[in-house]
Amino acid sequence: MAVGRLDNRTGQDVLRRAGEASVLILISLADGPKHGYALIQDIKELAGVELGPGTLYGALDRLERLGLIESLPADDRRHPYRITAPGAAALRVHLDSAERISAAGRLRLQVGGI
Amino acid sequence: MDGPRTARMVRTVLRCYPARWRRRHGDEAAELASLLLRDGTPAGSIAWSYLAGAAREWLTPRPGRRLSAVACALLVAACSLGVSGGLLASARPARAASTSQAHPRAHCRPGSPEPVPGVLPVTGRPQMIIRVGGHGRSC
Repeated sequence: MAVGRLDNRTGQDVLRRAGEASVLILISLADGPKHGYALIQDIKELAGVELGPGTLYGALDRLERLGLIESLPADDRRHPYRITAPGAAALRVHLDSAERISAAGRLRLQVGGI
Repeated sequence: MDGPRTARMVRTVLRCYPARWRRRHGDEAAELASLLLRDGTPAGSIAWSYLAGAAREWLTPRPGRRLSAVACALLVAACSLGVSGGLLASARPARAASTSQAHPRAHCRPGSPEPVPGVLPVTGRPQMIIRVGGHGRSC
């Protein structure tokens, strides 16, 4: 395992500080491998967020260094990326955490009567 | 903006990335830019995104990259900020000098000693002599 890769057995939300782009990329890759252009299009459809190409490659490199995604053999000039098992686990933990926070927020809004 | 000029601009911006990044993503990044341009994404926003990405790439410490390279990049950024700050600072006294004739020198005390020609004060700073009404007074 490469240096700096994450061990997600602790159940910590390692994506909390990874940034929105990283989370959106993992969500987009959750249903299958995609290359850069397909990722940008899918994220635009999925979340209404237009990722800039510079932001995309920065996030892809970071996720790959962390072992959360991996690059597949190039198809023409495009590298498809695939989510790894630790990546899927990290995404699951992050989404669970976001769900808990979201539920708590809704409850407080209800209690506050706002 | 026409196609060849845009392509040249994207290639130029991609040259700002470290060689390792260009070997890995260079071709794909150029192709992605052309696809985004075809979809109607403004060339300026693509170039800006790659430029910001290149800056991040240089400034992010990597296990494989020597600390000296990162320090160099930071130094260049600091120097460029310093140069622009210096230019601004040097422009300010010139502007001030052109408008300061009417302001009295509040810190000039009447009891200050008379300057001796050719002798510098203990501080080593040359004394400024202001001639008001025909007599010299030092500050």
